[in-house]
Amino acid sequence: MTDIKTLALEKLSALNLGYPELIEDIVVANKKIYLSIKTDKSKIDKFVRIKLQIEKELGEIDGINSVSVSLTSHSDSALPKADRKEFTSGVSEVKNIISVASGKGGVGKSTTSINLAIAINQLGFSVGLLDADVYGPSIPKLVGDKQKPKKSKAGKILPIQKYNISLMSIGFLIPEDSPMIWRGPMVISAVSQMLNDVEWGNLDYLIVDMPPGTGDVQLTMAQRVPMSGAVIVSTPQDLALIDAIKGMEMFKKVNVPILGMIENMSTFICPNCRNETHIFGFEGAKVEAKNQNIDFLGDIPLEIALRECSDKGTPIMLSKTDSIVSKKFLEIAKSVVGKVGDYSNSSKPNIIIN
Amino acid sequence: MIPENIILSENKKELTLQYSATNSIMSAEYLRVNSPSAEVKGHSLAQKKTVSGKKSVSINSIELVGNYAIKLLFDDGHSTGIYTWQYLHELFKGKDKIWKEYISELRIKGLNRE
Repeated sequence: MTDIKTLALEKLSALNLGYPELIEDIVVANKKIYLSIKTDKSKIDKFVRIKLQIEKELGEIDGINSVSVSLTSHSDSALPKADRKEFTSGVSEVKNIISVASGKGGVGKSTTSINLAIAINQLGFSVGLLDADVYGPSIPKLVGDKQKPKKSKAGKILPIQKYNISLMSIGFLIPEDSPMIWRGPMVISAVSQMLNDVEWGNLDYLIVDMPPGTGDVQLTMAQRVPMSGAVIVSTPQDLALIDAIKGMEMFKKVNVPILGMIENMSTFICPNCRNETHIFGFEGAKVEAKNQNIDFLGDIPLEIALRECSDKGTPIMLSKTDSIVSKKFLEIAKSVVGKVGDYSNSSKPNIIIN
Repeated sequence: MIPENIILSENKKELTLQYSATNSIMSAEYLRVNSPSAEVKGHSLAQKKTVSGKKSVSINSIELVGNYAIKLLFDDGHSTGIYTWQYLHELFKGKDKIWKEYISELRIKGLNRE
């Protein structure tokens, strides 16, 4: 192969057309020669002639079936990068970002997010909650608020303040009944706007309620947002657990520490006969957490009050502080906060520019 | 795999990654010509480019990308390469071999480092 390459290069220099500076690359594979030449857009006719000439010359080499010459034109500065830059500037004063994720939808991720946010706030920290589920934003409903966000003097969007939590959701910006029919890049730009253009201010914790799944949006967020850690929510059911594991793998890939797993809908205690029923299976998430070598943060039982409070927009953490569910959320909040502390000291490298 | 410190030398031409037990030192030129950016690597083998003439390139600044990578901004304007911890580790581990291949690629194409 190398012989053909050398031969090709010799032929090219024999053409004496300003090579080899213009040749960007040359590859020989499967009896084909690929090469690209740097093109000056203003002299495109000349380059098209050169292209044909090269294809003819190199096509005559023994053992070569075809030659493919591509004309390229680019400059480093012209490449699109504006949109990537400063993806997270709006959260520069946020100390820790924690994402709440599940592989599967409908496992109670948003309910967990809002109650976890309130629980962390009750421990004495300032907390924000970003509803990144732009297809099905649930946070406005869960906090019973639909007011439109106002703008700050600096032109940034001010988060909605409710229950002592700073909130942002696409649901505050767009009417409830209008469906979100968006392609991936639009979703990413909507989420990046909610991170960037919202004046989150100085927060101890920002909880990000991730959209369900492990697609492009989730991966982009996991990659670009400097997260302190991720909390995985799953029901004990195998079906949900399979997707939860996918979610975990995604975070592992981009080095976001997994703080642990919460088992939601873990059990149901009949209010009449007090019999306990494991509707979605027994301790599935607990067992899976052990298998995956991650921490089990706690289990939240199916409780009619939790559903009622959620539908009313008065999270159970505030309206029924003595319930088992509220106590469990408070315990989970304590371990989440503790773990973030453990990780945040070790995982971020210092950048030292002399 | 995650370095504890990332240190740019005073002349901005040498990057040191300090791990708990070891250090990896790589030159700005080596990092630049092996940028993982699609501008350099292309989207297939046939599109891979040999970057030449970067002997005196230096690094202007370093940005963390999430928890998994850094972005290096070079003084020639190149800023789209995202170097994951894993990639940096591989670049350092294979330094001798990768560099040798680069030099011979330059020679074959009649390019040089200057």
